[in-house]
Amino acid sequence: MPDRAHSRHVRRSRLIPIWALLLGAFIVAAIGSVPYYAGNDSYVLLLLGKFLCFAIFALSIDLIWGFAGILSLGQAVYFGMGAYFVALSLKINYAMEHPTRYGSKFPDFMEWNGLKELPGFMTPLISTPVAVICALIIPTLLAFIFGVITFKRQIYGVYCAVITLAEALILQEFIIEYQAYLGGFNGITDYGNFVGAPFLWLILAISVAFFILARLITHSRIGTVLKAIRDNDVRAEFMGYNVANYRIFVFCVSAFMAATAGAMYAAWVGIVSFLDAGPLLSVEGVIWTAVGGRATLIGPFLGAFLVRGLEFVLSGSWFANYWQFFMGVLFIAVVLWIPDGLVGTIANWLRRRRRGSIAQIRAEEDRIAHDQQRDWEPAGAAKSGEEVV
Amino acid sequence: MSLLEVKGLTTVVSGYTILNNLDFSVEENELRVLLGPNGAGKTTLIAMITGQFKPTSGKIYFDGQDITGKSPDAIFRAGVSRKFQVPNMYETLSVYDNVLISLRGDRKVMNNIFRGTTSEEKDRVWEILEFVDLTDRANDPADTMSHGERQWLEIAMLVASRPKLMLLDEPTTGMTEEGKYRTADLIQRIAARHTVLLVEHDMHLVRRIARRVTVMHQGHVLAEGPLAEVVNDETVKAVYLGKSGPQ
Repeated sequence: MPDRAHSRHVRRSRLIPIWALLLGAFIVAAIGSVPYYAGNDSYVLLLLGKFLCFAIFALSIDLIWGFAGILSLGQAVYFGMGAYFVALSLKINYAMEHPTRYGSKFPDFMEWNGLKELPGFMTPLISTPVAVICALIIPTLLAFIFGVITFKRQIYGVYCAVITLAEALILQEFIIEYQAYLGGFNGITDYGNFVGAPFLWLILAISVAFFILARLITHSRIGTVLKAIRDNDVRAEFMGYNVANYRIFVFCVSAFMAATAGAMYAAWVGIVSFLDAGPLLSVEGVIWTAVGGRATLIGPFLGAFLVRGLEFVLSGSWFANYWQFFMGVLFIAVVLWIPDGLVGTIANWLRRRRRGSIAQIRAEEDRIAHDQQRDWEPAGAAKSGEEVV
Repeated sequence: MSLLEVKGLTTVVSGYTILNNLDFSVEENELRVLLGPNGAGKTTLIAMITGQFKPTSGKIYFDGQDITGKSPDAIFRAGVSRKFQVPNMYETLSVYDNVLISLRGDRKVMNNIFRGTTSEEKDRVWEILEFVDLTDRANDPADTMSHGERQWLEIAMLVASRPKLMLLDEPTTGMTEEGKYRTADLIQRIAARHTVLLVEHDMHLVRRIARRVTVMHQGHVLAEGPLAEVVNDETVKAVYLGKSGPQ
C-alpha cells in the first residue's frame, strides 16, 4: 500500500484568486472610467448602469438557485419593490419642486386619478433616507415572511417556483390595479435621474461588494451547508441542520440584493413600470443566470451583460419583434447543450485539461485498485494501533 | 433507564398496521442487531426513532427525554444519527466536505455565517477519512464514488457526528464479499465506543459481529437474546429463517 500519511491536502479555490483580482480590477477600472471617454450623460453610460443593476439582480438569483437549489420565478418582486419605493420617493420630491399644470404639489399621476393630495401613508417617503430604508428592508422582510410560510412547511422545488411566480403576478396586478397610488400601466416617470459618474461608481461599488459578499457566503461553512442542502436536503435534516432556516436565510440575503439593485435601477434610469416587478423580468433573470453559468457568481454578470447587450444590438433590426421568442430558444439551447452555462462550461473544460476527466481518473484508480487487490487481507484488515472512534 | 426505549409503538398507514404495539429498548454501549423478514417493520421503526414519520400511538424515549414526534434535526441534536438504506450523501460536495459538515458542532444558521474551519476540525476529518480508508478520495465529488465507497463515506459521516446512538440500516447492501468483511470490521471498531443499532440481512455478517439480536416480525418483537439462542428458537425458525435457514 502506498504511504498516505502525506496526502492531507484539501483542494479549494481561493476566495478571490490573484488572476481574478487583477482581471476584476481591470474590468472595474474600465467600467468606472466610461464617463470620461463616453461622456457623462451618454446612452452607453445609461445602459452600463442599467446592466449592472440587472447583473446584481441575476447574482441574487444565482445565490439561491445555484447554491441553495431554490428556483424563484418571482425574484423581480423584490427588485420591483425596491424600485417602486425609490421611484415614488423621487417622484413625490420632484412634484414638490415642479408643480403640475394645475399647480398641485403632488405626483401628477395621482392627480389624474382623482386624488386631491398625497395620501397620508406615503408622506414618510418624502424623506430620502426613509425611502431607501423602506426600499431595502421591506422586500427583505417580505422575503422572510414568504420563506417562513413556504420553507417551514417544506414547500420546495417546483411548488416553490410556482408560488414565487404567483407572487410576481400578484404584485404586477396590484400595481396595475392601484393606478392612483402606483401609476398602474404607465409606471412612474418624469422624476429625473442620477445618470452620471458618481452614481455609476456607487452602482459599481455595490456590485463589487455584493459579489464579494456572495463569495464570502458561499466559501464559508454556511455555503457548504447550503450546497449540501441543495444536493440532499433529507441527509442534511438527519444531520441536524434545520433546512428551512438555512433556506430562509439565503432567500432573505438574495431578496436584499435584488431590492438594492431595484432601488439603484429606479434612481438610475428614471422610470419604473409594472414590468420591473413581474414574472417577465423574473424569468429573464433566470435565463441570464443560466446562460452565464449557475453557481459561479461571475456567470450572472456575464449572462446579464451578454443577453442584454445582444438585445440592445439587435433592437434596431427586424429581429426585435422576435426577441422574446429568441430568449425562449436561447434558454432551451443552454439547458440542452451547456447546462453549466458559459462560465461553468469553460471552468469544467480547464479543469479537465489540468486533471483529466473524472472518468479518466476513475479508470486509472480502478486499475491501481485491481493491481493491489492481491494485498487485501479480509479480516481485521484495518490498521491496528489507532482508534479513531 | 435504557438509552433508547420504545413503548407500545403502533403505526397504522392507510389501514395497514406496520408496527404493532412494539416494545423495544437498547442499552448504552450495546451493539444490537435487528433482524426480520422483508416488511417486518425494521426500517419503519428506524424512521419512527429518527422522526421521519410520526407514530399513531406509543412513546419513544431517548437518553431520558421524550422524542416522540420531534423533527429529524432535533432528534439528531439529541444524539441519534442514522445511516440510510440507500447511501445518502451530498453528491456534488467533495468527500472531505461531506465529512466536514457532518462533524458534531453548532448547527445554527447565524453561527455558521462566515465561519471557517479550525485545525482541530481538519485533523478530525482526516482521522475519520483514514479510519474508513478514503483519504485518497478526499477531494473527489461524492458522486464519482463506487457504491461500496459511498456506504463507507456515509458511515464516516455518522462517525463524524459523534452520536450517542448510531442507527445503521443495512450498511453492506451492494458490497463485494471483501467489502462486507471490511464493513463488519469497521462496525466492530465503531461499536467499541458507540451504541449501535444495526439492521442487517446478511447472516454471515451477523454471525461475525452480533452479540445480542432482536427479531422482528409483522411489526412486533418476536424474539430477543444472544444470537445462538435466537437462531435456535422454534418460532424464529418458522417465520424468519424459513426453509432455507442460516447457511
